[in-house]
Amino acid sequence: MAEDSEWVVESIAGYLGSPEWLIPLTDFIENKCSVFDDEEENKLSYTEIHQQYKQLVEKLLENYMQEVGISEQQFLDACSSPFAKSKTLQALFQPVLATNDFQLFRSLMVQKNVELQLQALRVIKERNGALPECLTDGTDVMSELEQQEMQILQEVLKRSKEEYEEEIARREHVAPKVGSTSASLGEEPVRNGTGPQAAAHTPAQPINSLGKKEDKVISERSSDSASPKASDNCSTETRTLPAVRVPVKGPAPPPMSREKTANQAAESWLEEARKEAGISKPFRELTVAQQEELQQRAEYLRQQRDKLQALKKEQKGKSVAVEETPSPTPTPAPATQEISVEEKKKLQKRKHLAEKLKEEVIKK
Amino acid sequence: MGEIQKGLFSVIEKLKGTTEQELRIVLLGLDNAGKTTLLKKLASEDVNMITPTQGFNIKSVTFHGMKLNVWDIGGQRKIRPFWKKYLENTDLLIYVIDSADKKRFEETGLELSELIDEENLKGVPLLIFANKQDLTTASTASEITEGLNLHTYRDREWQIQACSAISGEGVQDGMNWISNNIVKKKK
Repeated sequence: MAEDSEWVVESIAGYLGSPEWLIPLTDFIENKCSVFDDEEENKLSYTEIHQQYKQLVEKLLENYMQEVGISEQQFLDACSSPFAKSKTLQALFQPVLATNDFQLFRSLMVQKNVELQLQALRVIKERNGALPECLTDGTDVMSELEQQEMQILQEVLKRSKEEYEEEIARREHVAPKVGSTSASLGEEPVRNGTGPQAAAHTPAQPINSLGKKEDKVISERSSDSASPKASDNCSTETRTLPAVRVPVKGPAPPPMSREKTANQAAESWLEEARKEAGISKPFRELTVAQQEELQQRAEYLRQQRDKLQALKKEQKGKSVAVEETPSPTPTPAPATQEISVEEKKKLQKRKHLAEKLKEEVIKK
Repeated sequence: MGEIQKGLFSVIEKLKGTTEQELRIVLLGLDNAGKTTLLKKLASEDVNMITPTQGFNIKSVTFHGMKLNVWDIGGQRKIRPFWKKYLENTDLLIYVIDSADKKRFEETGLELSELIDEENLKGVPLLIFANKQDLTTASTASEITEGLNLHTYRDREWQIQACSAISGEGVQDGMNWISNNIVKKKK
């Protein structure tokens, strides 16, 4: 009887490692895991999914047992045999145990969800060369990202300044006489000079107020990096600025709009940077707008993940097709491998299969 | 298909390598009764930052050599219809009442009597925690016993225990009752 249970266990273990079992099970887990987060509280929907999981596992196991001709009693005996308690088998049985153990099931689902998210991130990274900063989390990455952000920010500010100065130079050529318009414009350069700095501050400030140390670094950095430039601006622009203010007052709007687009570009970049920095905060600390952004990003991530799933499914479909062509009866295949190890079991299994076949043939 | 499945389930149950005995306990009651606070107290966790439960919480507590898997399911009216999905294989029902919320005694009594009639809870022992005894307006356990007609429950073992989940007072007494009446019998 002990021998009997041994082959039953082996047979089931073989099945639990076969694509017939793994593919539908993995499919199910991958499709349903997205709602499983690692919050302490469980959602009611988890229970529903757990039920579906139970049904799937039972259906698969029952079909197999019927197919091979293992009775429930045999299964029970086999499972309580010491042979079934080995570590490798216990690991194989995990998905089966999860039908009866919600916490185990939940941890399987949460784990898969995290895995898929990481995979999605990797795919995004491969596709875009680098990971969008918004999708990274964790402080070590953040400091790097902050630096990148600041570089982008500085670049943008530099470019907008260049554009701006170019424009001024052109203005000067076109309307040199207004350069002397008035002394009242004396303040203007300063105000203009601080423009970009102010722009750099606005995004940094809300981040700072969210109270994370790194953010302070950001805002400090942003003011550091922006202010020298701003003062540069001041010095270089003192000459040219009066000319700039003229078109604003005067009838010619184009430079104004030009200036605006540059500013807008900077602002959108800043906005972007702010968003990206925003992702690292605990959700509840964010403003409503930031939460929305976060959700949008989560949605994006999900979409990427779904794509990944679809891709995987395709691949799976292919691999199944490939497998099916050389061996139309995949179940015995793994069995044959095990057989070569121990002669006795081989005979038993064959005998059993033969009997099963005979039975089926006779019945038909 | 039901029977075969149940059979398979019992088989799967035996697959578990552990020899540890487990008890499944379901913690129910109206919203704001203090179920989650009680759960966290049982697990010796911080009870200060508890928000209304939208889904359910599970904690496993080892108690007198037995593993108690305690399921705390949200008590808001819109969640109550889901309660019955969690009753299968339950070894003990803990029902929590806000002893200071006299206006809802009728409501909580009604919910309890409906639960008691559930097929899955047939004969399942019942422990009622008359919670929030730390509030001066709280009714006593005997008043609640009267109000809920607990004396009419003759189809099962039951016990009412006054407690304050926040301070922990009385909680241990309830657990001792569980230990004396259920854990020992199971063993």
